[in-house]
Amino acid sequence: MTTKLKATLASALIATTAMTTAAMAEDCTTKVGVLHSLSGSMAISETTLKDAMLMLVDEQNEKGGLLGCKLEAVVVDPASDWPLFAEKARELLTVHDVDVIFGNWTSVSRKSVLPVIEELNGLLFYPVQYEGEESSKNVFYTGAAPNQQAIPATDYFLDELGVEKFALLGTDYVYPRTTNNILESYLEGKGIAAEDIFVNYTPFGHSDWSKIVADVVALGADGKKVGVISTINGDANIGFYKELAAAGVSADDIPVVAFSVGEEELSGLDTSNLVGHLAAWNYFQSAESELNDEFIAAWKAKMGEERVTNDPMEAHFIGFNMWVNAATAAGTTDVDAVRTAMYGQEYPNLTGGTAVMGANHHLAKPVLIGEIQADGQFDIISQTTEVPGDAWTDFLPESAVLMSDWKDLGCGMYNTETETCVQLKSNY
Amino acid sequence: MVRFLTAAFILMAAFAAPSMAQDTIQEVLQEHRAVIEKSSRKTIAPAIDAIANSGLPSAQTVLQKWQSKEMWQRKEDGLFFYAEEVDSKTYSLFDFQDGAALGEAAKSDLKQLKPNSGIRAMIGAALVQFQLNDPDPVRRSEAILAIQRDGEASHLAPLRASIAGESDPDIKALKEVTERLLTISYDTDDAARVAAIQGFNGALSLDARAALNPVLTTKIALKDALPDDANIKDRVIAGSDALPFEDALAMIVDAGLIPAQPTVDERKDALLANITDGQVGGVAVADLDTQEARDRAYMALVADGKVPAWDANYSIEEAVKSTAFVEVYAEPSKAVTDAATKTIKTIDRAVGLNQTMDLALDGLSLASIYFLAAIGLAITFGVMGVINMAHGEFIMMGAYTGYVVQQIIPDYTVSIIVAIPAAFMVTFAAGVAMERLIIRWLYNRPLETLLASFGVAIALQQIAKNIFGTQARPLTSPAWLDGALVFNDVLAISYIRIAIFVLAGVFLAVFLFIMKKTRLGLETRAVTQNPRMAASMGINPDRVNMLTFGLGSGIAGIAGVAIGLYAKVTSEMGADYIVQSFMTVVVGGVGNIWGTLLGALGIGFLQKGIEWLNPSNTLAAQTYMIVFIIIFIQFRPKGIIALKGRAAGD
Repeated sequence: MTTKLKATLASALIATTAMTTAAMAEDCTTKVGVLHSLSGSMAISETTLKDAMLMLVDEQNEKGGLLGCKLEAVVVDPASDWPLFAEKARELLTVHDVDVIFGNWTSVSRKSVLPVIEELNGLLFYPVQYEGEESSKNVFYTGAAPNQQAIPATDYFLDELGVEKFALLGTDYVYPRTTNNILESYLEGKGIAAEDIFVNYTPFGHSDWSKIVADVVALGADGKKVGVISTINGDANIGFYKELAAAGVSADDIPVVAFSVGEEELSGLDTSNLVGHLAAWNYFQSAESELNDEFIAAWKAKMGEERVTNDPMEAHFIGFNMWVNAATAAGTTDVDAVRTAMYGQEYPNLTGGTAVMGANHHLAKPVLIGEIQADGQFDIISQTTEVPGDAWTDFLPESAVLMSDWKDLGCGMYNTETETCVQLKSNY
Repeated sequence: MVRFLTAAFILMAAFAAPSMAQDTIQEVLQEHRAVIEKSSRKTIAPAIDAIANSGLPSAQTVLQKWQSKEMWQRKEDGLFFYAEEVDSKTYSLFDFQDGAALGEAAKSDLKQLKPNSGIRAMIGAALVQFQLNDPDPVRRSEAILAIQRDGEASHLAPLRASIAGESDPDIKALKEVTERLLTISYDTDDAARVAAIQGFNGALSLDARAALNPVLTTKIALKDALPDDANIKDRVIAGSDALPFEDALAMIVDAGLIPAQPTVDERKDALLANITDGQVGGVAVADLDTQEARDRAYMALVADGKVPAWDANYSIEEAVKSTAFVEVYAEPSKAVTDAATKTIKTIDRAVGLNQTMDLALDGLSLASIYFLAAIGLAITFGVMGVINMAHGEFIMMGAYTGYVVQQIIPDYTVSIIVAIPAAFMVTFAAGVAMERLIIRWLYNRPLETLLASFGVAIALQQIAKNIFGTQARPLTSPAWLDGALVFNDVLAISYIRIAIFVLAGVFLAVFLFIMKKTRLGLETRAVTQNPRMAASMGINPDRVNMLTFGLGSGIAGIAGVAIGLYAKVTSEMGADYIVQSFMTVVVGGVGNIWGTLLGALGIGFLQKGIEWLNPSNTLAAQTYMIVFIIIFIQFRPKGIIALKGRAAGD
């Protein structure tokens, strides 16, 4: 009796296993979550990234997928609603069982997703330049940290343009406020007096810029050269640049460097009056390399001739390919194995050179500064070698002592003075 | 072989350069090749100077081509040329010396030199000497602009020399003003400087202020350390805001007048460093728990000569009291600083006056934008009492109509003229459809109307996203609306805002005409006051409601074209204006167009006023404004102009 039961059980088990194996060989899929807003106020920027991810997944499937399995993109729409980002991330990880998530744009949405990703041990690739002061075990930051965008751009203002008075204009949320705090402290360290730094915050979608532009112009009354550092986000930029052009502010008199304005944002503008104003990114569509030409051609073939490429797209391009290579090297898409394989991963930048993933989950990338041209593209006038991203800025006293090293120290918030790990979760 | 020869040539040029005068511009360029390639403002100056002062006829060409990013370098041999694009992959090269064509080269073999705007300004300053007397008036204007941006003492003489021969009266006037600005900063003759300064009495130009303010830069110094003829502005009292005690003390110590006194922390460190056998200066470490004990220990160390001296009775106030501090001008001539002070006083008065006027203009402009956005709502909500949350989306539809028209008609002027009636028709039709399909079933049920129209708003936004994408679309104003009406460097308003102001005025007139002089207006007023009575007088209330709603929506569509011209066209633009529009109508008083006008003016000026008080946070300004409006509504719930009697409807 017992023997019979055992035999039945065994055969049933074998049968099940055989069936599962057969099924996997036939059509196994690896799921890739795409968490970008397709509606609401951030859709203007994030929809493009969703399209870019779908293109990358398609291309990878044409190359034969990953580890012999087909990749499948699971797209959800968090609708620019920050708490909904957390819900949708949970849905991706628990309902759809995705192996990796590519997503988020605003820092506030990333902060909303963090607890979920860390609780469920997910893996998130975040493609946008951000304010730093964060390092999560479960997030790879493929966009620029402040030392890869804001600080070099400010140095450029100080050294190359001779700016002596700064107007820091930003949208009122966490990224501009943190970035401007870092910049204020950095500028004061460079000997710029506090009264020579003018700071202004405006709401999302602000459109009445006449007074602010007039205030900025009036800063030049004491004979010092004025420069504007803009962390204005989203469609408020359009009104700002229109007012700037109407006021006849020439880039030679008052240069503006923007951290959130790229090719995509300029495509909604007549740029003939903005020629010479600046943007700082790690990528511009006008970068000259064969890889970039291929990428642009593939994008235009998929999306239409008038579409442009931009920096966060390059970040996804690098992030996705690094993830594919790391999973291939690890032989599995298991989160912990992939994460370990990520450290030191190299992949060519679209601008030439090689991006390297550091142990602090940030990329080493070159910093580019471009001047706006009449055709809405950027003329790259300055390009550095690769700069490793720094999670904790050196220019705020409380974070200067912190460092992140997930590879050897296994800690994202390590105090180098007390030599202790402050905390592992990123619930700060 | 060719390569070898070129290399030899470069070597030769490089070695020959310092010893003998160079006779081709290429040699000059090659000598400074490294810094030109590096292209940094900090190191480029010698290269620009060498080219400008080479005395070679082609120097001007090189600088001009370099400035306009037309200078290229051949990667193979590092020689510089200027190039013209043949097609995207090939460029034809020209020699600087004689302009001879050197054939074509592939772009991949060339490197474009891209001077940044800092370097371009330096090149511009170097070009001044060539361009001031250039036959081309554009070049001459550029030269003057370069002086205004980056003036230097060496520009003064050539600029003065060029004024007499200037034929163009506009450029001559510009040169004269620039000459006075340069005189203030760089002339050595005080009388000439004073005269130039006085010439700017009451002047509003930013350049004049930028030249005058640096004349008055001061620093604080010790009176005794200054020479007798120093140009002193005023005495400064230590301990005042301008000179805190710590700074005063630091100055005296730096001047070596008194020895530095160790601070509390320094004394503590000194104690720590001198612990021997558990004791410091004869006091046990365990007893050092009071400041008094620590001071005693320190004095003992002083007596032993182990640490710097310290005066226990010392006070900063005492130390600085006996020293005289003064604020002294960097500018040595008193006549110049006096003249500048006087002139700046007159300028400040004029600037203050003009800033007030500018603020008033900004307020007026914002008010006209709010009014334009709200006037359609004044009809649908104010007259008919329908809470239409999709009003903002009608604005958005109007703006997209303008965009579509611009895609069909490329001439911006014509397209705007076509777009305005087109936007009216599209949104009128949409308004009528919405009234027929939804609103008319919900009259007298405000909550349901609100929810239903909110649903319509979301649907319209998503439809717009599906059709036009999520990216902002350009709605470009005609060239004659570009730029601003500039009264002076302080007072200016962009033409597009003036156009919106005019449009708002026109709509006010149209609204008044329709309501007071047409049959539709009469019927509308009759239906809103008493639909049953109106119906019994032979008016069809259904038809009147439909047309009125369509009219309000149509006006929103035209407002959309205007707002799209000055701000942006996105699917969410309507949402930005819906709250402001309702606020305008409610504050002004429901049902009265003059109330809407007053409401728009009140909100516009209030917002600008608060922004002026708190310039660093526009968001806070809006928050304060909403708080203010809530308080206002508490005291005048019916708005500025409250309807009385039967017209009030209740």
